[in-house]
Amino acid sequence: MGGNFKVSYREDMALFQTLWVKVWLSILILLLLLAPYLLSRYQLSILIEMGIAVIGALGLNLLTGYTGQISLGHGAFLAIGAYTSGLLTGKLGLPFFLSLPLSGLMAAGLGLIVGIPSLRLKGLYLALGTLAFGFIVEYILFHWDLTQGDMGMAVKRARLGDFVIKTEKAYFYFVMIFAAGAAICAKNLVRSKIGRCFVAIRDRDIAAEAMGIPLAKYKIMAFGISAFYGGIAGCLMAHYQRWIVPGSFDISLSIAYIAMIILGGLGTILGSVLGAILITGIPHWITYLTDVFKESYPALSGLIVDFKLGIFGLIIVLTLLFEPQGLFGIYRRVRLYWKTWPYKY
Amino acid sequence: MEKIIEILINGLSTGAIYALLALGFVLIFKSTGIINFAQGELAMVGAFVCYSFAMLMNLPYILAVLIALVIGALLGSVVDLLFFRRMVGEPMFSTIMVTVGLASIVTCISGIIWGHDVHSIQSPFTDKTVAMGNLVISQGTLYTIGLSIVLIILFILFFNRSLLGIAMKGTAEDPDTAGLMGVNVKKVHMLAWAIGTMVAVLAGIFLAEQSFVRLSMSHTGIKAMAAAILGGMESIGGAILGGVIIGVVEGLAANYLSGMELGDFHFGDIKDVAAFAIMIIVLMIRPHGIFGKEKVERV
Repeated sequence: MGGNFKVSYREDMALFQTLWVKVWLSILILLLLLAPYLLSRYQLSILIEMGIAVIGALGLNLLTGYTGQISLGHGAFLAIGAYTSGLLTGKLGLPFFLSLPLSGLMAAGLGLIVGIPSLRLKGLYLALGTLAFGFIVEYILFHWDLTQGDMGMAVKRARLGDFVIKTEKAYFYFVMIFAAGAAICAKNLVRSKIGRCFVAIRDRDIAAEAMGIPLAKYKIMAFGISAFYGGIAGCLMAHYQRWIVPGSFDISLSIAYIAMIILGGLGTILGSVLGAILITGIPHWITYLTDVFKESYPALSGLIVDFKLGIFGLIIVLTLLFEPQGLFGIYRRVRLYWKTWPYKY
Repeated sequence: MEKIIEILINGLSTGAIYALLALGFVLIFKSTGIINFAQGELAMVGAFVCYSFAMLMNLPYILAVLIALVIGALLGSVVDLLFFRRMVGEPMFSTIMVTVGLASIVTCISGIIWGHDVHSIQSPFTDKTVAMGNLVISQGTLYTIGLSIVLIILFILFFNRSLLGIAMKGTAEDPDTAGLMGVNVKKVHMLAWAIGTMVAVLAGIFLAEQSFVRLSMSHTGIKAMAAAILGGMESIGGAILGGVIIGVVEGLAANYLSGMELGDFHFGDIKDVAAFAIMIIVLMIRPHGIFGKEKVERV
């Protein structure tokens, strides 16, 4: 099968398995470094959005794809991260380099609490529990004076020491460093003992427990890590948009994240990245297309909000029906096909 | 005293709607093993169809309701045919996610067809009240409660007495064995979706009677799911009790808690999250609901 055999444990454990992976990654890094000089501000802002989505999607994939715990409330963790950092820097005057990890930790703390029911709940029950959690978080943000409800809340610019991250270019590099870091951490995590425990729990939790994996510890840990990723993504989003409203963290955001990991491929790191890029890109594509037709059909531009959620739903359904392994599955098949070409295997 | 009784009766009628929705939900779950997150969206479509026929085309109300029910049944069968026929036996994650995706597709299409405005349906019961002593109750409320009770009794009889109902129960238990016993599994699944959607449509029309027809009424579906969970997913009686509990608690919360302030926190429309708060508490204490049985799992 493709001839990629490993003869030592060291090779099997390697973070980047082949030379080609390293080559492609260096090309990607080079392109990302050059991107701010080649692209317009608008295109750069899309890339920033994608980078933030990658972080959130990695978190959700660790929980749903690797550990098999359904979460319909991932948007709530982004909201918690965004509001924590917004309040810490705005009301308490904390520096950004402190508020960023704190927002992740805050989300992780609440994630641990949401994780506790998961010890008894499975499948449907967990999906509903996390969904309800999302609604309750949204409700609290709407009705608390501190967060100013649907008026929204202004968030300060991100600053590191004396350096204020003002331009799109600077923020782009900043987000990309975090996205790359998040991907490497996740990749490392899943090849470690923790990651293997996650996968064991997903495949058969009772058997995993019988093999001596403490379910409680690892399930709650999965929720914590996933929420931490979500919190960081939310914080980065808040400081980029600099204006946050509870309405932007509603159920449709959680569904968008689910669409990302399902489209990309459950339980894969590359899949989360691909899914996040595509799902974030789709609304911009629709905007672009409707702009073209706006002259002849002016009513179209009002429909974009409807279209967005519907298309995400359609992507989820079609992927699950026809390609349950997502883009990563297609990628693997294509790669195998060319590797062994012209033979079947 | 009158106020409390009024709140209770209104809560009961909201609860009856939740119970109906939960019933459709349990019905689909009991026969196909699929948890339908799109139940509220299907109810919304039903209400919109009824609105279109009753208000836009000026058909008699009863006729519009009947047309909506037929369209609902067709919609349910189509949904089963397109999406769920090939999903039988897939892991629960996939089926749940397909219904979640279906929910957003339905919302999207309804938004395009009917728009985001708020409409109301003029029915024979609109603005008519019944006075009992000092109590004033709208006719719609009474009809909702009465019809729901009749329907619920019919369903219990259907599941426990009729051949088809028992076949549905058997199919949910084990589709393969049911097939070997001569049950047409595909037909049973399709019928379950058709009936489940019809019940949802009826609930949507009742709901439109009490408030308005709009896109966001689909959130009721999630509350109904909370009701189904509260009672235990397997049991029809549980779904009804869960619906009534949630309806009454919502009514009480709306009357006594809204408008309260706790420090700088406004309770506002707490009615909308009361159901979720109850659900989370129930899930923590008794994960399988009041009447649900804990499943023994094979490794």
